Amino acid sequence: MPLPTPLLLSLILFSAVLVSVLVALPGITVSQGGKILAFLVLFVLPLLCMAIGVSSEVERSKSTSFCLSCHVMEPYGRSLRVDDPSYLAAAHFQNHRVPAEQACYTCHTNYAMFGGVRAKMHGLRHVYVQYLGKLPQQIHLYEPYNNRECLHCHLGARSFEEGAMHNADPDLLPAVKANKMSCLSSGCHQVVHNVGQLSNVKVWKGDK
Amino acid sequence: MTDGIVGIEKRLRLAGMLLIFGLLVEAICLLWARPLAFIVLVGAGGFLCAAGIVVYLYSLVSAGRARPQ
Repeated sequence: MPLPTPLLLSLILFSAVLVSVLVALPGITVSQGGKILAFLVLFVLPLLCMAIGVSSEVERSKSTSFCLSCHVMEPYGRSLRVDDPSYLAAAHFQNHRVPAEQACYTCHTNYAMFGGVRAKMHGLRHVYVQYLGKLPQQIHLYEPYNNRECLHCHLGARSFEEGAMHNADPDLLPAVKANKMSCLSSGCHQVVHNVGQLSNVKVWKGDK
Repeated sequence: MTDGIVGIEKRLRLAGMLLIFGLLVEAICLLWARPLAFIVLVGAGGFLCAAGIVVYLYSLVSAGRARPQ
């Protein structure tokens, strides 16, 4: 659990002040107490600050505002505000089916083993491409969207298990659960972000 | 012996300076909510703090070596 930023900043500044004291007066490390102080200030506190700082940044990297801070993601941010329930991402975001402050991460992480690590490695690659690489004309997923990510929340939910359309064909739900039939590309929920059509759609102004 | 103490103090000062810069970089990155801040935090801040800690640990080892002489 990362510390709130003001508390973490206070810890960092407190550590920096203590390090400054040691830099100004290195002679105090001659005494036993000074040696213990130096160990705490030059070893324990910086390690603690870095560990908490990195943890805090990793947590922040899950936020919707973090993902949308890159210019290339701006249309995807707008697609969350489309006033049309057939837009899957918008419907999930606006109805809080995913946490609004972690909307991108919730759907685009990987719920398999080490999925969070893989998502963060992809994120690092995105940062590299954003600042040092060549941005693609059109953004694609690394691999076809796996139903596992949908089922992480929907599996067992009444609306999913007992939905009329889902039960119209008895083979449909088993195929969806086995990832043999895609939720998105099989013609059922195919309108997701559709950033190419955003100029023609009405935008929801609420929840700003 | 005095030279040894002066050498240790120099290394402690260097370690302290590296740590101060590393901590300041970390503080700035925490205030700067951009994806690049994460890279700078881990890259520059992490490197400076790690270097400071290594210099401090080296100063301890070198002090241990200097004592028998």
